[in-house]
Amino acid sequence: MLGKQWRKRSLIASTTIAVGALVASTLPAQAAGNGVTSTTIKLGITLPLTGAASPGYNKIPAAMQAYFNYVNDNGGVNGRKVQLVVKDDSYVPTLAVAKTNDLILKDKVFATVGQLGTANNEAIASSVNLGRRGIPSLFINTGFSGFANATKYPTTYPILASYVMEAKIMAQYIKENFAGKKVFLIYQDDDFGTDALAGFKAGGLTFDATNSVGYASGSQSAATGAAWVGKAKAYGADVTIMFGVSSAAGPALGAAYQLGFKTQWILGSVGGDATTLKAIGVPTAVMYGAIGLSSLPSPADATDPYVAQFQAINTQYNAGATFDNNVLVAMNTAMLTVEALRAAGKDPSRASLLAAIASKGSTWANAGLVPLNYGASSHVGFNGYWFGTYGPTGTMLPAGGKYVVYTTDSGSGAVVKSTYVRPAMPAKGLPNN
Amino acid sequence: MNTMTSIKKKLALVSTAALLTIGVVAIPSQAHAVAPQCGPANASTGYVSTCGGVTSEGAPYAMLVPANYNGTVFIYSHGYRYNIDVPPLGYKLSTILATPQPGPLANNTDQSAIKYLLSKGFAVTGSAFAPEGWNAASAVKTDVELIGLFKAQFPKTTKVIAWGESLGGFITEALAEQHPELVNAAGLMCPALGTVEAELTGAGDFLWGMKTFFDSKIQGHNYAAGAAGVAQAYSDLGEIAATAKALQASLVTNTWPATSGAAGTALAAIPPRSALLLVGLMAGIPTKSAHFDGTTGPGKKTDAAYTSFALAAQPALAVLENGAQAAALAVIASLDLEQQTGGAFYDNSKTDYAARVADDVVSYNAALSGTTAINGMLAFLNPANPAAPRWTETNGAHAKLQALMQNTGQIKVPTIALAATADPIVPAGNTQWLADKYGPQLAAAQEAAMKSYTKASGYTAAKQLFLPIWNNPPASYTKFNADGSPNTTIAPVTGTNHCNFTTKQYINFAGMLVDAVASGDVSPKAAVRQAARRSGGIVDLTYQAPLLPFYRK
Repeated sequence: MLGKQWRKRSLIASTTIAVGALVASTLPAQAAGNGVTSTTIKLGITLPLTGAASPGYNKIPAAMQAYFNYVNDNGGVNGRKVQLVVKDDSYVPTLAVAKTNDLILKDKVFATVGQLGTANNEAIASSVNLGRRGIPSLFINTGFSGFANATKYPTTYPILASYVMEAKIMAQYIKENFAGKKVFLIYQDDDFGTDALAGFKAGGLTFDATNSVGYASGSQSAATGAAWVGKAKAYGADVTIMFGVSSAAGPALGAAYQLGFKTQWILGSVGGDATTLKAIGVPTAVMYGAIGLSSLPSPADATDPYVAQFQAINTQYNAGATFDNNVLVAMNTAMLTVEALRAAGKDPSRASLLAAIASKGSTWANAGLVPLNYGASSHVGFNGYWFGTYGPTGTMLPAGGKYVVYTTDSGSGAVVKSTYVRPAMPAKGLPNN
Repeated sequence: MNTMTSIKKKLALVSTAALLTIGVVAIPSQAHAVAPQCGPANASTGYVSTCGGVTSEGAPYAMLVPANYNGTVFIYSHGYRYNIDVPPLGYKLSTILATPQPGPLANNTDQSAIKYLLSKGFAVTGSAFAPEGWNAASAVKTDVELIGLFKAQFPKTTKVIAWGESLGGFITEALAEQHPELVNAAGLMCPALGTVEAELTGAGDFLWGMKTFFDSKIQGHNYAAGAAGVAQAYSDLGEIAATAKALQASLVTNTWPATSGAAGTALAAIPPRSALLLVGLMAGIPTKSAHFDGTTGPGKKTDAAYTSFALAAQPALAVLENGAQAAALAVIASLDLEQQTGGAFYDNSKTDYAARVADDVVSYNAALSGTTAINGMLAFLNPANPAAPRWTETNGAHAKLQALMQNTGQIKVPTIALAATADPIVPAGNTQWLADKYGPQLAAAQEAAMKSYTKASGYTAAKQLFLPIWNNPPASYTKFNADGSPNTTIAPVTGTNHCNFTTKQYINFAGMLVDAVASGDVSPKAAVRQAARRSGGIVDLTYQAPLLPFYRK
């Protein structure tokens, strides 16, 4: 048949053959086997390895793979070795979509894990149609509260506390510690910042054009940093909140240093990693005394069992990379991933993986000082923060030397001190769930 | 360095003249209604007999039949051709009307695909529909008549494969739906599908957005009857070309075009590139184009300007390049359909653009300059703003538009669609519409197959009758000149532009249709998947292209 002869030649160039909306129910189950072999489990991640947003974040994949390698050397997950396919999205949502499609279609990953950024994850969820295709997106690194919507994002599980929670907790802290002071806010003008504004408002702290400035993601530069700081200075800000990514916090702090602007900085959890800020040229002096937040223990706190164990793994498996918050987040994410894979069964499918997180994810050991709140209808990750102070070398440690953790929700719930006691670190850092 | 300043330097971009292009084919003239008149198939004609004639509706047709004819004929339906002269584009209707098109033409001129089919023993036939313009009902009638004429002239014919491009895809689908007894397989290339209302709504959204933001002189709808309306459309073509050129400059200077009026004043603090992108998202124009991939920037990936260009500039540049291509068709087709429906059919008086673009704006937040800017632009477009008057239908034209022939989406013969995911004129959402229609049909067929199972008869699997093929551009393909400006002279990559297929693609597509006739099934078996992978494609049973904005309201 002529057609068969033609098919032996190359088919339609650069095409994807698909059955579009032939819904999963009409097709053979595909989950089992995708990215899982008898010896391996393949996972994928896109994140900025290059570009302005890459400093700090570009340490994450190596740290995740280091933890996976540690687990692999200790028997793997039910005998399978965990592999991580890493792709650079330069923090550009359209590129994140393209690269995630590649992960799924070409690399055939079982699930994505630790995808980074609000806009990127929103673009991936809607354009790659993760939910409709039943593809798990585990422990994404964004605090956009919308991802807790299990109906809209049925296969996406955030790990971070929401930005609404963070802003609410921050508002209460400011009211308690800086009552009567003039407060200025720098925020990212997208859903990241929309969450922040909502949280501050819920916490009784309101901002307008006179005491805040929003910036479009990607527009940050030394010039914009100077403009933000100039506005804060003109306002006479006693307290200045930086609620943005590190590549925005850097220019803002750098400008403050250059302009000699004295204010009490409060750095949001996303953009406050000292190692990253130092790497992009922020003088330690301007960070000294700043206040920050985190849901995980301080990476400098070697007395913490999780930190100590991860530091040891980092030393052995990550070529001694500087152990900072990015490495801590990466290893904690990797450990949760291993627990999820173990809970998904000896022959894991995407469906069993998602079911495991929904039913047991809130109980798994991890470094978080607040609980994960996963459940049958909840995709809420962490739900609180502790406050710390940056020291002279940029290290953030708990204010008063003790972790005082505050917790709340993304709605109208009160901010209260947490009584949560986390599970103990599994022996040798190897999950036993 | 201010990265936005750097971006501006890179924005010496697309030639507006090159943008205002259309994909129609100029072909020679033909005369009155006559029965097929055939030339010989001998050495001098390459052993191909060529027949010509005119259908009862006055459509000239051509039949090309090789001496070794194998009994299978491909009947081709061409795409939208303007139904008026368009002097600025060198388009003369009388020439177009007179020339039949029996098959696809790569790059609008290359007949290699037709010649290849003939060399393998297949016949090809097709017509120049009468009339041109949006002519689905008339065209289906012409195709039916032409099949009959062909079979009568060549009784050896046993199989008929219908295929068509763009509007021709709509016609082919309608032909297969209404006359499955005449067609053994259907091939839909860069197809318009569903309803003309869905197609023209995007055109109206784009024209309204361009007028409201950038040039109040654009009329865009409600053209006068007769020659006066044609003159208005000509004027619009000029205005749009001028606006595209002005926008090109505006993207460099970051200032709104002088023609922008109230919008330019009210939204001056927002970069015009963001407003242009918003119009594109409202109208469903792809954010990848022939030369703009939406993902890359000039220089090194480590440069801040690289990411900033990719984030902030690329999507708007793609919309400009795509929109300029689509604009001429939007104007002429709107005029055409207004003439057919007797009034202004487009009506956005109740359109909620904020809801429509809600999912898109989060992905393009940076390019749209942030949430505050997005909200400001959408507020300007609010129906309550007198500076942004909405358009309303007249004379019941909207209902008349809805009454024009539609595709039902009922798949009755093996059907394959080939859609470019960055097609600026007929977006891939058309094919997604058909895929969505077919999903329940396949499910019902599978259920019926299960129910009919008996021990005695065994199980006969339901046949899959529809297969969409998505023609994706690569993730990154923008090229930059040494000075960092985008290079817009390179050939458009596959997956972009309208019906931008190569001879090889046409031939392979035809081969799949031949196989579909033989098997009565188009499921992506291992051989097809493997072939796709070898050629850089991927089989994905769950891919979903975004639907046209019309369906998102």
